[in-house]
Amino acid sequence: MRPSGIFNTDYGKDQAAVWSRLQWVILLGSLTLLFIFPLFASFWALGVLNFIGIIVIVVLGLQIVSGYCGQISLGHGGIMAVGAFVSAILTFRAGLSFWWALPISGISAGLIGIIVGAPSLRIKGFYLALATLAAHYIIFWLSYHLPLTGGTAGTPAPAPTIGNFAFDTDFRMFYIIMPTMVLMTFFAKNLMRTQMGRAFVAIRDNDIAAEAMGINVWRYKILAFFIACFYAGIGGCLWAHWMTIVQYEQFLIWNSLWYVAMIIIGGMGSISGVFIGVALLKMLDELVMWAGPILAGALPFLGTMPAAALGYSAFGLILVLFLLFEPKGLAHRWELFKHSYRLYPFPY
Amino acid sequence: MGGLYALLGMAIVLVCKATQVVSLAHGQLLFFGAYFVWLFYNGLGLPIWIALPIGMALTGVMGMVIDRLTMRPLIGQPIASLFLMTLALFMALDGICKLILKGYSKTYTPPFIATEPMYLATLMIPPSALWGFGVALLIAVLLGLFFRYTNMGLAMRITAEDHLVAQSMGIKVKRVFSSVWFISAMVTCIAGVFMVFNTDIFYTMPEIGFKGMIVALFGGLESLAGALLGGLVLGLLEGLTAGYIEPLVGGGMREVAAYGFLLLILLIRPYGLFGLVRIERV
Repeated sequence: MRPSGIFNTDYGKDQAAVWSRLQWVILLGSLTLLFIFPLFASFWALGVLNFIGIIVIVVLGLQIVSGYCGQISLGHGGIMAVGAFVSAILTFRAGLSFWWALPISGISAGLIGIIVGAPSLRIKGFYLALATLAAHYIIFWLSYHLPLTGGTAGTPAPAPTIGNFAFDTDFRMFYIIMPTMVLMTFFAKNLMRTQMGRAFVAIRDNDIAAEAMGINVWRYKILAFFIACFYAGIGGCLWAHWMTIVQYEQFLIWNSLWYVAMIIIGGMGSISGVFIGVALLKMLDELVMWAGPILAGALPFLGTMPAAALGYSAFGLILVLFLLFEPKGLAHRWELFKHSYRLYPFPY
Repeated sequence: MGGLYALLGMAIVLVCKATQVVSLAHGQLLFFGAYFVWLFYNGLGLPIWIALPIGMALTGVMGMVIDRLTMRPLIGQPIASLFLMTLALFMALDGICKLILKGYSKTYTPPFIATEPMYLATLMIPPSALWGFGVALLIAVLLGLFFRYTNMGLAMRITAEDHLVAQSMGIKVKRVFSSVWFISAMVTCIAGVFMVFNTDIFYTMPEIGFKGMIVALFGGLESLAGALLGGLVLGLLEGLTAGYIEPLVGGGMREVAAYGFLLLILLIRPYGLFGLVRIERV
């Protein structure tokens, strides 16, 4: 809804995603801020931001397949592992450049995603969730049993280079991760406004009705899985080169569950919700990491594992509370807020 | 192990039949059941025939609390959010589980059942297999009798058929939900106790809950007999994989075999072996 004083005088304006001068200023301003931020940021903040950037890419994919297309996937962490391992193997073992490995890992993860998503043609709901969970377990097992992946030791992933310049620090990786994230967000946001995105939403709301309306459900479900897993593959590739080593332990089943938690907290079916969800949960994670040792010092009877254990409990509890009191996620709350301030001082 | 998987599967099917919620939280109930019994058996030194019922009752109450606090406010919400709620519960309880165990494991000392294997001619039968199977069979028969002959069982069967119909027949559907969770949690507690009576209560125990899901999906989410069969098949599959395939390809193959099997079943029969084939309307 447009605030008063802004009128759409042609169809282009009606469809625009960014439609006021103020919005352009805010968008460009925040992008500029984002890109000059590392000059002032501490080491810790940079690490957190890089993490958020990578996970945002991965969770954007999950948002497309789960939030928009309604196919709940509990195997997204596994797909991310595919991208990470493909990229690490290509750059470390085959000596390929990072710039080639990035799209290749995305596409190969997407192809695996088609296989993982294939059961969605016959099953849905929690049956599908369990099937994707099965896929996660199989990928996870393969990731430390295939000789190619280096077993439990993992595969090193060399830093990306341009000429002699190596992106080998958090500061330098930031300038690979963030542009990719902005680009992927741009694609996701626009993809969901096209005919394809609307087909996804129709399938989510009722797949039989969608089929009756002439949407090729088979094709669009597979497409949703491909796009989602492409995102996860790209995220995995960046993860590999940021971590400099890929190991099976980085892709536990918990990661897959957390990604689902992130889209619930952020809001199903909302691109901005992804940012909210990822940032919030990462901040919570940092808080727990910071509070864990302090708690352990203050309450010695808790034992040696309070940080990890409290983390799990806090995540779970927050998720429970969100499902109870804010089932549509924080992005929905944000939309309501925007509505109210645009209408201010009128109630509706 | 198969019989105990079957028990867990039955517990999940019970809840699913009545409330149409597929619960992941049962993995945690499994742990807490075993832990409560341990608390009374080892912690307070009570004999097992007192500790087991108390532990069962406590787990049952825990199931009821879960239903009252987290499931009931969500009645009427899409089924996906109910499923995600059980996932969230799983995460929340997992932290508590790890906090309780502090990285150590707990054992029933002394074990309350003889742990020496029995011999049938030359065939060695480990006691866990025997007890697991026996208990599973006993519980299945008891549940069957309960559903067949008691008023509450009848109410539960009607509720499983249709919530609205049940409500209009004067059945308190919410109370049925609570008691279903109670019974289901008790069954889970038994499964948990017998699963670990000669090994450890360890913090990876809740993840067995995922296997309960495999069992429940295998037989179809509406069929107790299917869960029984599914449990036995899964146990057999795991045993065979551990015996014959794992020496060749390395550890962890058990899980992969179980999940690969699940994928196969889902692809061939999306509603499980005995599940109702739902006809959907727009």
